[in-house]
Amino acid sequence: MIWMILLGIGSGMLVTLSRQLNGRLALSTSAMQSSFWNHAVGFAVLVPCALVAGSLWPAEAASAHWFAWVGGAIGVVFVASGSWLIPRLGAALTGGLLVAGQMLSSVALDLLRGVDAMLALQLAGVVLILFGVYLSRRN
Amino acid sequence: MAATTSGVAGPRRPNPLEICAALCAGSLLTLMLLSNGMMAAHTTPIFASLTAHGVGTAVAVLLLALFWLRADKGPKAPRARAPLWAYLGGISGALTVVVSTVVVNSSLALTGTMALGLAGQVVLALIFDATGALGMERRLPRRNDLLALAAIIAGTLLIIFARGSAA
Repeated sequence: MIWMILLGIGSGMLVTLSRQLNGRLALSTSAMQSSFWNHAVGFAVLVPCALVAGSLWPAEAASAHWFAWVGGAIGVVFVASGSWLIPRLGAALTGGLLVAGQMLSSVALDLLRGVDAMLALQLAGVVLILFGVYLSRRN
Repeated sequence: MAATTSGVAGPRRPNPLEICAALCAGSLLTLMLLSNGMMAAHTTPIFASLTAHGVGTAVAVLLLALFWLRADKGPKAPRARAPLWAYLGGISGALTVVVSTVVVNSSLALTGTMALGLAGQVVLALIFDATGALGMERRLPRRNDLLALAAIIAGTLLIIFARGSAA
């Protein structure tokens, strides 16, 4: 269990590490170029992983919904945005504001889809996050 | 481009464009995770990450080509080359998928994975900022940066646990 907890913390640290490296690369190239390298290098690492885990083309892949295929295209813009933001705002504020956008949009999406688990508590979370974004703007 | 981060003024507050860009990018992350999660459920998490990176590489090439066609091709001031290790962000990105898949399938479940991931992300980011790690500018966060982070983290934990307890 302790190992799982450490791995969980580690997975978050990997996100920050990746963003910091991409941001450094963007300083010498551009945000979009750093996003390209992030995806190309990640792809090169994942090919052997996929081969070990099973196959490069599982049988179900062909019947996947079109929306399941667009994640990578969205990710390109997401990574480029991170690389653009991190030299401007630093790692902590960049990470915090990205999480804020992620949580606000996911609550909105849940509401649209009619999933409202413990809505009052979630809305309290939204208010706190909006307050946090407001605080980041203050001197 | 780098000029905006240099100087002796120290950490400044984010401008509205930067706030808007971050919130929009965070919303893109929600859509990306929805899409990748759909592929992972339909096939395997590794294949979902593989296709996301493959499609991402192709789209990045297209966008770079588009930028290149539209760019001013005049002589540019030479920029210092990036160190080789700066190209390795994709490794830790790919590893994130593998590690978080393992943790999500443990007794920590999605709620625990998200909460711990958030903690790890913020702690390392604060260490990076305070030390200026990996060739980035060193910056001690302003008091309001820390308060903003605390409020965002508290709100995020509320939402994560509200969902977790209802599931």
